[in-house]
Amino acid sequence: MITGASSGLGAEFARQLAARRTDLVLVARDTEALEALAAALAEEFSVDVEVLTADLLVQRELDQVVRRLTDPERPVDMLVNNAGFGLPLEFARNDIEDEVRHLDLLVEVPMRLTHAALTPMIARGRGYIVNVASVAGFIPRSTYGACKGWIISFSRWANGRYAARGVTVTAVCPGFTHTNFHERMGLLPGEEGVASWMWLDAPQVVAEALRDVARGRAVSIPSLRYKAMVALSRLAPPGLVTRAGSRGRR
Amino acid sequence: MARTALITGASSGLGAEFARQLAARGTALVLVSSEESALEEMASELAGRFGVEVEGIIADLLVEQELGVVVRRLTDSRRPIDMLVNSAGFGQHLRFERNDIDDEVRHLHLLVEVPMRLTHAALGPMLQRGGGRIVNIASVAGFIPFSTYGACKAWLISFSAWANSRYSARGVTVTAVCPGFTHTRFHERMGLPEREIGLPGWLWLHAPDVVAAGLRDIARGKALSVPTWRYKAAVVLSRILPARIIATVGARKP
Repeated sequence: MITGASSGLGAEFARQLAARRTDLVLVARDTEALEALAAALAEEFSVDVEVLTADLLVQRELDQVVRRLTDPERPVDMLVNNAGFGLPLEFARNDIEDEVRHLDLLVEVPMRLTHAALTPMIARGRGYIVNVASVAGFIPRSTYGACKGWIISFSRWANGRYAARGVTVTAVCPGFTHTNFHERMGLLPGEEGVASWMWLDAPQVVAEALRDVARGRAVSIPSLRYKAMVALSRLAPPGLVTRAGSRGRR
Repeated sequence: MARTALITGASSGLGAEFARQLAARGTALVLVSSEESALEEMASELAGRFGVEVEGIIADLLVEQELGVVVRRLTDSRRPIDMLVNSAGFGQHLRFERNDIDDEVRHLHLLVEVPMRLTHAALGPMLQRGGGRIVNIASVAGFIPFSTYGACKAWLISFSAWANSRYSARGVTVTAVCPGFTHTRFHERMGLPEREIGLPGWLWLHAPDVVAAGLRDIARGKALSVPTWRYKAAVVLSRILPARIIATVGARKP
């Protein structure tokens, strides 16, 4: 099951998993985009693809996703918490209700879905939980970095706690990746204020992530350049790292 | 340091100790707590002993209307608040998979959403006046994966670091205070008496020391305050040691 499956990294996870003959449950708000993707994947890779239209911030619709996740008749082996969005960096001027929705989608929803998925996965002694975080979780960057920091911290703990019972939890931490994430924030391609060598491609990010998921890693940081940056961020003085996080327009 | 401070979770633990030490320095207080009798007792004790003005707001911060009362007090332009101390919190059992998910959501709301909302409310007037202190009580658990509690504290530490660098040039500092194990009622309220935690005595801190060190770092405008050298060293180690080893520390008891 993949949330936020109709675009970006979610769609790429769907494609690469389908190519490995994984049946899919795709969750997103955009029924049309979901159905187009489902039809394309079902045809190309002959896998079963279910479509579940849901706005994860609407309790009733989230409950439907929880029910599907815990349906004993149709077990889900892998949960990919990918749905998300970004807000402008200027916290003080953002609408606080937008900030709360951002927190709910980036933290509360994956926490609820992970909680729902864990019990049946532990009972079966097998399962993969994948939380799409960001390298921003290592570098203070407004509430976005804080939420991704939550997910990374929780994934590390949960992987340590549940791996022995067959369930692994992996936080995937991409750097800047070519998807429609920045465009949805109103930043046009080429105007994000990010050097070209810092951009990653979604297929490369997901391929590396799936390798780390298969190995049961708690944290996956695709590409050597971002691995090196995160390692540096741990050794460099915190003040310097914070200043670096204030750069770029994202 | 501040003329008026608003403290959440003020009737016990570190919140109460912040109230005491700020009152001793002549800071007027707005104490917020859901425990009515404890709050009243503290307010009259501090007002009597230190001769400062002490206001009490009885509020459950997880009830929207009651949180609204605190937000309105925080943004009242006739009675400005110079310092906000986000101290209200509680702990959750480590067995995440067996915890009631609604308890986990309440825990997330009190530890993250409430301080985020109060910080947002306080920032507007503080930036306008060009001065203010925001204090988030986090924990060294924010550096060591430790179920949802550690994750929420990591949120606060990350956000405080960013917000301090963003707003300090405009006069508003944001500090995450990260105590280690401290003698308060925190563990007992979780159903975990201190003697059952099984830690050596030298690892336990006293609330007055934590708050005194915290107030020093707040006055200096630091983004992060880790009271005592032994916990400072632990935090440095947590950044240098391989993540795998750190995760096993958090996975241990309680």
